[in-house]
Amino acid sequence: MTWNRRNFLQAGLSTSLIAALPRGAAAQHVFTPKPDAWRNFEMVTRVELAKGQGATQAWVPLPSFSEPEWTRPMGSTWQTNARVAALVRDPKYGAEMLHLAWDGGEAPMAEVTSKFATRDRAVDLAKVGTPTPLSADERKLYTGATELIPTEGIVKQTADMITARARSEHAKARAMYEWIVDNTFRNPKTRGCGVGDIVAMLKSGDLSGKCADLNALYVGLARSVGLPARDVYGIRVAPSKFGYRSLGTSSPIISKAQHCRAEVYLTGLGWVPVDPADVRKVVLEEPPGNLPLSDAKVAAARTTLFGAWEMNWAAYNVAHDVKLPGSTGPAVEFLMYPQAEVAGARLDSLDPDTFKYVITSKELTSS
Amino acid sequence: MANPVPPPPAQATEGKSASSLVEAPQWADGKPSFVLDDITGTRHDLSGSSGRVVLVHFFATWCEPCREELPALQRLLERSRNSGLAIFAVSVGEPDARVRRFFEPMPMNFPIVLDRDRATSKTWRVEMLPTTYVLDRDLKPRLVVEGEFHWDRVTGEQLFDTTPPVRQDR
Repeated sequence: MTWNRRNFLQAGLSTSLIAALPRGAAAQHVFTPKPDAWRNFEMVTRVELAKGQGATQAWVPLPSFSEPEWTRPMGSTWQTNARVAALVRDPKYGAEMLHLAWDGGEAPMAEVTSKFATRDRAVDLAKVGTPTPLSADERKLYTGATELIPTEGIVKQTADMITARARSEHAKARAMYEWIVDNTFRNPKTRGCGVGDIVAMLKSGDLSGKCADLNALYVGLARSVGLPARDVYGIRVAPSKFGYRSLGTSSPIISKAQHCRAEVYLTGLGWVPVDPADVRKVVLEEPPGNLPLSDAKVAAARTTLFGAWEMNWAAYNVAHDVKLPGSTGPAVEFLMYPQAEVAGARLDSLDPDTFKYVITSKELTSS
Repeated sequence: MANPVPPPPAQATEGKSASSLVEAPQWADGKPSFVLDDITGTRHDLSGSSGRVVLVHFFATWCEPCREELPALQRLLERSRNSGLAIFAVSVGEPDARVRRFFEPMPMNFPIVLDRDRATSKTWRVEMLPTTYVLDRDLKPRLVVEGEFHWDRVTGEQLFDTTPPVRQDR
């Protein structure tokens, strides 16, 4: 899909179209995450690498992101034949990972067990309160550019166009969300979760991708107009309880269930969860597939995923441009997959033939 | 399909391009340069190609148009085999293993070099993929193409002609 100037009009049309939908259209599918009971999960990441390849290192992301209202990490343990196994933390974003190093000899192996608790979240968008304010450092961090998310040039031009008629932070955040739902699409051919190169997307007019592309676009647009925003990188850990096959797992093996979400900070509301990428996932993948935006399930997802998340998903971190400790190689754009190097050469986290890892999850007793 | 237009001289503007297609690259001394390893581990210095017309093609394995252009560049190289054309394909920001595996079924007769940390593509102001620079025998930029391009329609003579190119309409 190529974005052109005509699509500008959709920024204004989309909101009025949503408002004009008969109430019955969205009411036909219930998708109402609410912060009720906490759910406890255990996730196991097992990494196995080929023997005799030389000095090997690996980095396993851990579900360490902590927000008292909706995600509580409960620690990780591991078994490994590595010479080095150390919990390390990225200094800028606090992303936690297990760093492993082997000298050679036996086939490298590690099994990491992580426990965490989650609770559905829903922000009452009509209730302005006094949330914890962002510190100056946090505001700077979450409005700043990253390697693939600049906040000037075409990103800012696009955001300014989208928010031209929006007068409040909330209206701007909403306008950008609706624009992404209307103008992007999930591309089944994109490898993994995508790359998140938002300038390439905007310059080429190819607004397709997966979650790390589409939600990064949201974050970039928001930051460029001064709204703090962040990608939250994680992994789906359970089926959806709201009947969405596309928004949950279908088996205990979740090795390919990584998913990136986004948040935007609004004055009076605090961090507001959003996920326009998942709206596009419902469009593409919810059976029977290729649903129109007017479909009841899509409409419900569109309404809900600005302000709420079902928490069948674990949050790893909010980090960008992550330098892997002990590596002489480049930073990774984001840390959502296990990473590994053999003899200094980075392996492909998306190629199971050359970099084998299995991630499983199970829900423990709920509290 | 993008229309190739000559880029402005690198020093002409301070971080802003007169053509609006590309921001002015930030090459040291205003000269295109890179020193990068290829997928076999061989190091390549662009300056060693002085005296030849050079295509520097920035791509990624995830970029769909790139997958079609690379074989087209191979065919261009074959058509231009007696003219001294050199081509470098620069993989942007991908692990070595992924790039090697990508080329296993389609080996190329030009170096596939690895811009692992995106530093080169940043210096060259590459903002979308594919992006291709055509450098003259003095390694000065003569053409830049942002986006896909049908290299099968280009002859070696067109590349070596120092006059402005005929615009290629979509």
